[in-house]
Amino acid sequence: MTARQFAVASAADIKWIMNSAALLRRRLRYSDSEARWWGLVRLLTEVIELPLKTAAAAATALLGVIPSSTPVTIGADPSHSASIVVDLSRYESIFLGNLSRARVHETPKRRGRPPQLAGARQALSSASRYGIDLGLIQSALARTPAERLAMLEANSLFLREMRRKQK
Amino acid sequence: MSFASMLGGLVASNVHFVVVGGLAAAAHGSSRVTNDLDICYDALDDANLVALAGLLATWTAYPRGVETGLPFIMDDRTLRGAPILTLTSSEGDIDVMDRIAGVGPYADVRKHSEKIAALGVSFRVLDLPSLIKAKRAAGRPRDFEHLPELEALLALSKSKLSR
Repeated sequence: MTARQFAVASAADIKWIMNSAALLRRRLRYSDSEARWWGLVRLLTEVIELPLKTAAAAATALLGVIPSSTPVTIGADPSHSASIVVDLSRYESIFLGNLSRARVHETPKRRGRPPQLAGARQALSSASRYGIDLGLIQSALARTPAERLAMLEANSLFLREMRRKQK
Repeated sequence: MSFASMLGGLVASNVHFVVVGGLAAAAHGSSRVTNDLDICYDALDDANLVALAGLLATWTAYPRGVETGLPFIMDDRTLRGAPILTLTSSEGDIDVMDRIAGVGPYADVRKHSEKIAALGVSFRVLDLPSLIKAKRAAGRPRDFEHLPELEALLALSKSKLSR
């Protein structure tokens, strides 16, 4: 997991994580379990405004609890007129969503940017150099969007069926 | 399990969305085959969040690329907490996003979209110049690899229009 993927999985700014890790004297490891822990710490500090050390201790205690659909109370006054309740199953769902996004969507970026093309002629010569068949593009443009998507659907179903048979 | 069934489901459930990514590229003429549907949805409309999350729940949507079988609640609250989700479902893979890098949130994405009728439904797709902007902003090697074809498509479609 890269630093960026770690930040996405824990839904926190990477600089905030680095600074907080230094304050807590916690070694930073870019792993799924650490992202889950940091995500909960961020939630408790930034949204609930718990002090960092209190949030860290609460996150450690909470994530040690066997996951259940029952919300867990992490702090309350003696009369229970005010309390802080964490819905762990909700947190786990959101974390799972963020972890999936980090792995599937936030794959490492390429350094630099491709050159901005000056005009149509440059776009066509660049595509040709890249190995794009311009005749194929022209024939695609002769079809309607409905025809193009019908072709995509057929090709996609064919590939899916091939993969299924290979398994 | 097809693009037609997913798009049909989204339209029938009155979800406000714009198709982005590979399917939008294919609608503009790209020859690349994609297996997932990418949509940008209106996250400011509560009813839209409920409709989209409800539909994804009926499709037993689950995050892609993570350990399977873990508890996962697919509802509007999860969408609010994780507005970009990469999911696998009974209908196929679907990525839902509340904003598109290089274009902006749903309102901007909708402004740069056009309505098409295909696969038995009418829906909006991101226009080609914005799709190129999004690919440039995403910055992943697979996005950059797609750029020469998209830029050639834009150049050829412009020259076709001017004729």
